[in-house]
Amino acid sequence: MKYLILTLMGLVMFTPPVSARPVSYPEGWTVMLNNDGDKNTAHVHYSPTAKTSIGYKVENWRDKEMVLNVVQMNNLLKRWNKKDSQANAYLKSGVGVAYSDAGDFDGKIEPAVFTGLALDWEDRRFFTSYENRYTEAGEIDDFYTQSARVGVAPYIGEYGDLHTWLMLQVEHTPEAKDNFTVTPLVRLFKDVHLLEAGMNTRGEVLFNYVFRY
Amino acid sequence: MKKLTLLLTALILVGVTPAYAGHHEGETHETKTEAAVQSGDVHVSVNGLVCDFCARALEKTFGKQESVEGIDVNLESKVVTINFNDGQTLDDETITKLITDAGYNVEGIHRVK
Repeated sequence: MKYLILTLMGLVMFTPPVSARPVSYPEGWTVMLNNDGDKNTAHVHYSPTAKTSIGYKVENWRDKEMVLNVVQMNNLLKRWNKKDSQANAYLKSGVGVAYSDAGDFDGKIEPAVFTGLALDWEDRRFFTSYENRYTEAGEIDDFYTQSARVGVAPYIGEYGDLHTWLMLQVEHTPEAKDNFTVTPLVRLFKDVHLLEAGMNTRGEVLFNYVFRY
Repeated sequence: MKKLTLLLTALILVGVTPAYAGHHEGETHETKTEAAVQSGDVHVSVNGLVCDFCARALEKTFGKQESVEGIDVNLESKVVTINFNDGQTLDDETITKLITDAGYNVEGIHRVK
């Protein structure tokens, strides 16, 4: 396992990073539902331009017993369009409130903010990404997370086909007991629907769904 | 680990099998489009076209233009073919601006005579 993690970290460090597309096309709406071993999230955003999206996000951190309700803004800092590939750098930030059910903080509501950088690179065969985030929720909690993905498409489909990606995700949360989590997953993508499913090394299910229109 | 293997196997089977069927549809679509190319059409070479989201972005962008009858995006060749309504067109500058505003870069524009 140690060698697997080191290899993945190496891949992330020495290859250009992947695509979560936190900004849609101009006047596009996106609905994102993410579920993994730590949290369940729902995020709806609107992109007035190809460089910005603004939306509302709810995150339920199960073990932390904390729910974040935030207005989130994503900004495309830079895009590199090449003939056969695309790379992006995004700034993702949110501001809102955190509600806790945990121990001494039971019933407590605190202002909450987060910010992070997301980088991606992809062509039609390969995909890599990296993103980090620092979250501050007043007296309730503050934490840093980072994650990276590598992916490969077993076949290359045309526009309108069902696209399949096999991916490996590594998450790192320094404060956590098991601070590295590895999740193999499959991404299926057709028309306006994107679905991801996998299971991490702790046996927890990942299930994500994105709808864009 | 057994559960993980079963889950991934099922997803891969679901994902890969219909994909090849879909690929044939894509080929048919391209053939039709090539046959339908006509005088006045514009072929635009675009950088950054790597996935269906990119293609959809350009469809949405040009779909709002009254002069445009339809477009075809070929992700393999990175060429966008724009079909115009009779007697109508868009100049190169407008086409370039629309594609740039959608988040992509124009490499070249070729008009069918």
